[in-house]
Amino acid sequence: MSSNSSDITVSVEGLGKKYWLPGHGSGRGGRVGLMGLHFKEYLSFLGKKRDEDYFWALKDMSFEVKRGEVLGILGMNGSGKSTLLKILSGVTMPSTGRATMHGRVGSLLEVGTGFHPDLTGRENVFLSGSLLGMSKAEIKSKFDEIVYFSGIEDFIDVPAKRYSSGMYVRLAYAVASNLDSDVLILDEVLAVGDAQFREKSRESMENASKQGKTILFVSHNISAVSQICTKGIVLSKGKLVHSGSIDEVVHYYKKDIHSIPTDIDSDSLLSPKQDLRGAPRHTNSPKDNQFITSVSLHQSDGQPTAYFKTGEDIRVRIGYNVGNEPYSYFTIFFLDQLGNRVMTVQSDHDLETLKVKGAGVIECVIPSNRLGSGEYILMLDYGRIKSTYVCLDCVPSAITVSISLGDYLNGRSTLEGQGFIAQKTNWIIK
Amino acid sequence: MTKNSDVPLIKIIEAHQPWWRLNLADAYDKREICYVFAWRKISTLYKQKALGIVWGLIEPLALLIIMTAVFGYVMRLPTNGYPYPVYAFAGLMPWLLFSKATTSVSNSLMENMAVISKVYFPRLIIPVSSLAKDIFDSVMSMAVLLSLVVYYGFPLSAKYLLLPFFMGIPIFAALGIGLWVSAPMVRFRDLQHVVAICLQVGMYASPIIYSAKMVPENLLPYYTLNPMSWAIDGVRWIMLDQPLEFTISFYLSMALTLAVFISGLFIFSIFEKLSVDVQ
Repeated sequence: MSSNSSDITVSVEGLGKKYWLPGHGSGRGGRVGLMGLHFKEYLSFLGKKRDEDYFWALKDMSFEVKRGEVLGILGMNGSGKSTLLKILSGVTMPSTGRATMHGRVGSLLEVGTGFHPDLTGRENVFLSGSLLGMSKAEIKSKFDEIVYFSGIEDFIDVPAKRYSSGMYVRLAYAVASNLDSDVLILDEVLAVGDAQFREKSRESMENASKQGKTILFVSHNISAVSQICTKGIVLSKGKLVHSGSIDEVVHYYKKDIHSIPTDIDSDSLLSPKQDLRGAPRHTNSPKDNQFITSVSLHQSDGQPTAYFKTGEDIRVRIGYNVGNEPYSYFTIFFLDQLGNRVMTVQSDHDLETLKVKGAGVIECVIPSNRLGSGEYILMLDYGRIKSTYVCLDCVPSAITVSISLGDYLNGRSTLEGQGFIAQKTNWIIK
Repeated sequence: MTKNSDVPLIKIIEAHQPWWRLNLADAYDKREICYVFAWRKISTLYKQKALGIVWGLIEPLALLIIMTAVFGYVMRLPTNGYPYPVYAFAGLMPWLLFSKATTSVSNSLMENMAVISKVYFPRLIIPVSSLAKDIFDSVMSMAVLLSLVVYYGFPLSAKYLLLPFFMGIPIFAALGIGLWVSAPMVRFRDLQHVVAICLQVGMYASPIIYSAKMVPENLLPYYTLNPMSWAIDGVRWIMLDQPLEFTISFYLSMALTLAVFISGLFIFSIFEKLSVDVQ
């Protein structure tokens, strides 16, 4: 593709958005009391406006997207992703800068915008379609296609409140996916619906980009983003911190934002025991804390190993060295190769709080694990329960465990896309 | 009709937009959304109700019966000789349209925040479309009123051609006030109570349950600055042939209504842009 400037469909220059938010960041309602804050918030025109009363949800953002590109927008909660999409879709105005978009812009910030539960599916298609910017004639001509895509032909004249949530979402997305716009803005749409439907919507997005539509796509789902998008940007605290090809961006996001080391070969962690003193820590954990000292994996008989079969017990022993912590917890996250959390086990699933003091070892027994074949990286988290979880030390990549299905499923294996979890079942014809 | 498929369309989103830009053409362009909203409001209004649409008639009828009983028979308010039910209903109908429409328009933005914060379309569509339900109700009450008029033996005349004008006054007045209030109300819900109180006051400041003849002569020029007094007496003039004299106050009150409406458009255009951020 040539880098002709006419190919650029979305151009964002110096975009920023501030919110009037007195008392933010001060923790206890700021200098003024609660009552004062209430009046300050509601009668803001009376007092002097200070710079620190503003919160910049988005600051000085610039990027460009070319025709046919699918831009993935990554970032943690509160990084400004949704604010950016709201500005681009016109829902809210920017405080600084400008965005230029060429062609018809369609946005889907929520599945089922404008749907009314008392109206029938047919009526809702027209309602939602025209809200998203389609003309009545357009909806009419695409109606059959929309209903076919949704797969709920038999229920199209039933009030939407009688739909299952799946049907509701399918119909809503079917309307949006038939939106004939040049720029499509999507927020976390793949988070809804079952796997089959997600696959369907993923395909429709791919088709749309092949037809030359430009797509801006926000998701927390790293694997979805890396599958669909061609380019990406990473936002952090309202700023654009990285942009580039999607592989590069996903790599950056995992490494620097989520502290999932991508440069460390997960195979190098594949051993029964790891010394964690000096291992890289998660950005969320307080600096210089080294409370977690080691981790080791054991079979039910105590034999150390990194290789397990589905259905076997896994014993995870975590070595610690702490001060005096009467209300602590331990968490073990099982992450797949893309950083998705496959399983999370936590000490307070069993014991309310743990009393730990000095150096010691805690053992977590996972009886007959149900993980499917693959290698999983363990992320260890230790902290204090004080109405919320306060992280004190977190090792994002502590050790790798390798699981093979063995004969758990009667010697059969699960295929790709059949999930992470293996579950033995019994089938009887009655 | 597939428009702008060849013409390159450029959408620019900028930090600062001049306050005087109303983008009315944009709203007119998207008028289909207005119809959709109006239709959604009307068609969902009477769903899941056994009597459905009939409630649109029962409500004003109940009010009429109560008013006739209290003011017509117990208090015996003078009506210049007209039968009380038809006299009161002719006043009640424009008033109900005005008061319900003012409430719906004022609340419209707040009630539709969920949609507004998820999809963009010209926001002016929201208050305008919220009128539809009240106009619809009013048309039904009109049928009741006309049967009353015929029942009491008043003739139908060519004056009825002016009915849309007098019924247009409450619509424009309500839209004007509603446009002023609706966007600030998203931020200050307190305004809901203010509007409710003002409408209560307004009901007694308009010649609905009583006749404008009862107002002291020296106050009348100020009393008749209220556009609703013209709407009400206009309807009575058409239907009951009650004499109506267009004084200077008539033109002043019409000018006032127009001024509120036009300034409301600007106020709305300025404040609706902030509404998503402050809700």
